[in-house]
Amino acid sequence: MRSEQEVNRAIERYSDTIRRLCMLHLKNRDDTEDIFQTVFLKYVLSPVSFESEEHEKAWFIRVTINACKDFLKSFFRSRTVPLDELTELPAVLPADYSDVLEAVFSLPQKYREVVYLHYFEDYTAPQISRILRKNVNTVYTLLTRSRQILREKLGGDDYER
Amino acid sequence: MKDEMKFIFSQVHADEGLKDRTRAFLAQKTRGYTRRTAGTPYRICAVACLVCLLIGGYRFFMVPTAEISIDINPSFELGVNRFDRVVTLNGYNDDGQVLADEFDIKFMAYTDALDRILDSERIVSLLGNDEVMTITVTGPDGEQSSSILSGLESRTAAQENTYCYFAHADDVAHAHEMGMSHGKYRAYLELKELDPDITPEAVQSMTMREIRDCTNRLLADNGTESPSGHHHGNGHRGNGRGYQGGRRWAQQE
Repeated sequence: MRSEQEVNRAIERYSDTIRRLCMLHLKNRDDTEDIFQTVFLKYVLSPVSFESEEHEKAWFIRVTINACKDFLKSFFRSRTVPLDELTELPAVLPADYSDVLEAVFSLPQKYREVVYLHYFEDYTAPQISRILRKNVNTVYTLLTRSRQILREKLGGDDYER
Repeated sequence: MKDEMKFIFSQVHADEGLKDRTRAFLAQKTRGYTRRTAGTPYRICAVACLVCLLIGGYRFFMVPTAEISIDINPSFELGVNRFDRVVTLNGYNDDGQVLADEFDIKFMAYTDALDRILDSERIVSLLGNDEVMTITVTGPDGEQSSSILSGLESRTAAQENTYCYFAHADDVAHAHEMGMSHGKYRAYLELKELDPDITPEAVQSMTMREIRDCTNRLLADNGTESPSGHHHGNGHRGNGRGYQGGRRWAQQE
């Protein structure tokens, strides 16, 4: 079992990442809080010895995504949430940003994960394939397809970046 | 899009309330980071009891409570447990070790083991060549040792050159310190009384017959009669027939 000191360090380091991943998958704050606490409890009890911070962060990302998926499979949970009920974001976003947000959240879940990890966390396709334990070609395909969808929704060539 | 994504998600943070509630949740779930499962103390106890039982059981069965030392010049010792089973077999010289390796007698009843040894071609041949055999029973002066000695004396009654003795554990310890089995050590002590210059190293390579002959010669030189080829034992007088506790062999009389 990990020490309280280790756990506090991990909470400071990875809370925001976990929070964002939960936002990509879940309905509301209560569900997010459940997953958030579940992930850190798994961390406390995990016997995994991390080789580096990158290894540790990848572990958190994978465990959070899996915990969200398990939660969503639960019969009693609703899978959809209107965007305007998401309370994590500023009440008012610039128009461009709102469009992008809406477009990203309209993507199927598997695309949202790779889009977030690539565009926000700056992971490459090979790194994402290791984290999500998917074939690297699958990740490339998901990224390419997500760009196509976003281009269709948002228009223009700006979204090649 | 990268810039928009960066901006959007950088607005998302885990607030301090969420972190504090998570810390409290973890402290509660782990009982202050000292979490054990409900059954752990009982499991530890059960495992400890099992280990004690295994160790105790092993000691109960495997520790010899009596030893039988056989010396001709092969010298070897059998350790007998409280259940009259052979649990150890050690050679005290090269010939003794060869014989110890040959005899597959571990965990046999000692009576059967001794039958196998005494009836073996090698032992019969040695005794037939006028070699001397000394059998020493070591242990506390109690029922088991008496029973073993009595049985041995009965078993070897017909053999001229066989001597049976009882010895205490301390005497055996001295013998082992000298690198000898007790039978040979006893013979060495008898010889040393007559020849103080004799050394343990010289005796180790001698057969019991050679030691006996040496002793008899020195006794004859001193004008003392040599002991006859009959049985006698330390603390057990006569021909060893006075014990009722002897096992199978005693019943053959």
